[in-house]
Amino acid sequence: MNRNLSRIIALSAGAIAIALPLFAGDYPLQVARNVMMYMALAITWDMLLRSGQISFGIAGLFGLGAYAGILGMIRGGMPAWLSIPFAAFVAGFAAFLIGFMILRLRAMYFSIVTLALGEIFRIIIHNLHDFTGGPEGIVIQQGVIFGGSSSKLYWLTLGGLAVAIAASYWFEHSKIHFALTAIRNNETSAKSSGIDIFKWLLVAFVVTSAIQGLLGGIFVQSYGFATPETVFSADFTLLPLAMALLGGVYSTVGPIFGAILLGLVAEWLKLKIPYGHLVVYGIIIILVILFMPNGLLGRIRQTTGKRAGRTA
Amino acid sequence: MMAPKQRTAILAGLAVIGTIALLAWKPTVVIYGLQAAGLYASIAIPMGLILGIVHIVNLAHGEIMMVASYATYFACKALGMDPLLAIIPAALVMAVFGWVLFQLTIKRALKAPELNQLILTFGIAIALSQSINLIFTSQTYKLQLDYVSSSIDIGDLSFGTWSFVFVAVAILFAYGLKYFLTKTTTGKAALAVGQNPRGAAIVGIDVNRMDALVFGLAIAMVGGMGALFLTKSAIFPSVGGPFTMKSFCLIAMAGVGNIPGILGASLLLGISENILRAFRDTRAWADIVFFVLIIVVIMSRSLKGRKS
Repeated sequence: MNRNLSRIIALSAGAIAIALPLFAGDYPLQVARNVMMYMALAITWDMLLRSGQISFGIAGLFGLGAYAGILGMIRGGMPAWLSIPFAAFVAGFAAFLIGFMILRLRAMYFSIVTLALGEIFRIIIHNLHDFTGGPEGIVIQQGVIFGGSSSKLYWLTLGGLAVAIAASYWFEHSKIHFALTAIRNNETSAKSSGIDIFKWLLVAFVVTSAIQGLLGGIFVQSYGFATPETVFSADFTLLPLAMALLGGVYSTVGPIFGAILLGLVAEWLKLKIPYGHLVVYGIIIILVILFMPNGLLGRIRQTTGKRAGRTA
Repeated sequence: MMAPKQRTAILAGLAVIGTIALLAWKPTVVIYGLQAAGLYASIAIPMGLILGIVHIVNLAHGEIMMVASYATYFACKALGMDPLLAIIPAALVMAVFGWVLFQLTIKRALKAPELNQLILTFGIAIALSQSINLIFTSQTYKLQLDYVSSSIDIGDLSFGTWSFVFVAVAILFAYGLKYFLTKTTTGKAALAVGQNPRGAAIVGIDVNRMDALVFGLAIAMVGGMGALFLTKSAIFPSVGGPFTMKSFCLIAMAGVGNIPGILGASLLLGISENILRAFRDTRAWADIVFFVLIIVVIMSRSLKGRKS
């Protein structure tokens, strides 16, 4: 694709996204917020995937951030705006500490441990009744950000998405890109070219986790409450994963593309089928892995004759 | 790798000592721990078989059992049958299901990178649990059976006896498979495929057929377990999910390919969970044991791997 053309498309898409609340009603804004939330998570998942590490712990870090934000506000007396960066900080710091332990693990062991850590966060929060509100959750009584105005909340979520896109862009256009790609392709050769594997994995893990925490912080501000079941919901792991896979991994555009497609389909299905609409996600994951491991974007690139990315 | 047998022996020894101490102190912990261990092991062993021979982490394992439970439930309701009679039919039906699943999906991913396999079976897990959710909603179903509530009183001690059936099944699975893999021709061929697929192909074993067969067998075992599980537990779409994780943890603890070791690992998990359940203050934390255990096991393995 022509460089200028894609820049124009990106700019106009951004302009439309910013201007949306001026002409859209509450329901479309709500849908757009959900889609953007999942899109941002899909991008962060993909950023870590670029190093070959597959995380099943998105929901864990998202939920951790969500609780950090809400508890910072209610127990710590923080103003609402501060609770969001605080959520990012807590998730990032937790990832930093955990990273020392788990970033030596590879393949399925890494994935399983991230999933287990997410569950541990959930159980701890579930069980600390007095501090976190336990299974019933916790509600922000007063001081919700922007007084709950739906267009301002939309812009807030858009801001979270912008952070994710910017970080992903930074990952794509700096030397991190080469480090992560080299680690993914062959660790031994990456090491022998002088790449500090652990350091770059830690950077990627901390940055992606912090953004996931940030999104969690935005999520609780938008809804005004958190329960272990909602913020640690498996959806926050599942949907982003399916979106990134469908759109095409190892890029920023792929997850965006997949999130728009799947997000809108999901919102529509949610109205039609209250139970089990997620079955579509399972089937999409299966079909994509079997028939187009490069995602839709990879397919398009292949057919337009451009060099496709390495198979996932 | 260090000999997994040695580690199992140490684990088993510790378990025995701990059990005796516990038996004197809180007998119900041991009894319920043993029963839980039987359930965990009899679900984990088929998954261990798949991982050891087909080399696939089947993240849809618990969901497959859940599907078998649903099928059994509705068959039993329709025919007025006891789920115990449905064990063999359920196993046969699930064997076919497993074979088809293998041919349609798993086979195509065998040569793909591990991450693709992991995501593929993850997708199958979601597709299965959500299809059930779609058809039957998240309502729970339970069969009322008299024999399940049978219990024994010894002194002031009273406990349910039905769940010991899982212990029997676990032992049957572990030693039945051991016999199958070391004494029968087909089993030996399957074991050869597990140890070295290429070498097995060179000596004339049809690797693909073996993989399909072992996958089908394992799914049949877990299908039969699905019927048996129904006697004890209420079923709902997400009932199988936790067992996938637990099974994987137990296999990782025992070491891939060490099927009898899964028994020891299950005992450790079952008893530790029940120690926490025995006290009011710690009851809510019983669920965390498993996740902590899985991390400790995987971490210690990775440390050991780096040293050697």
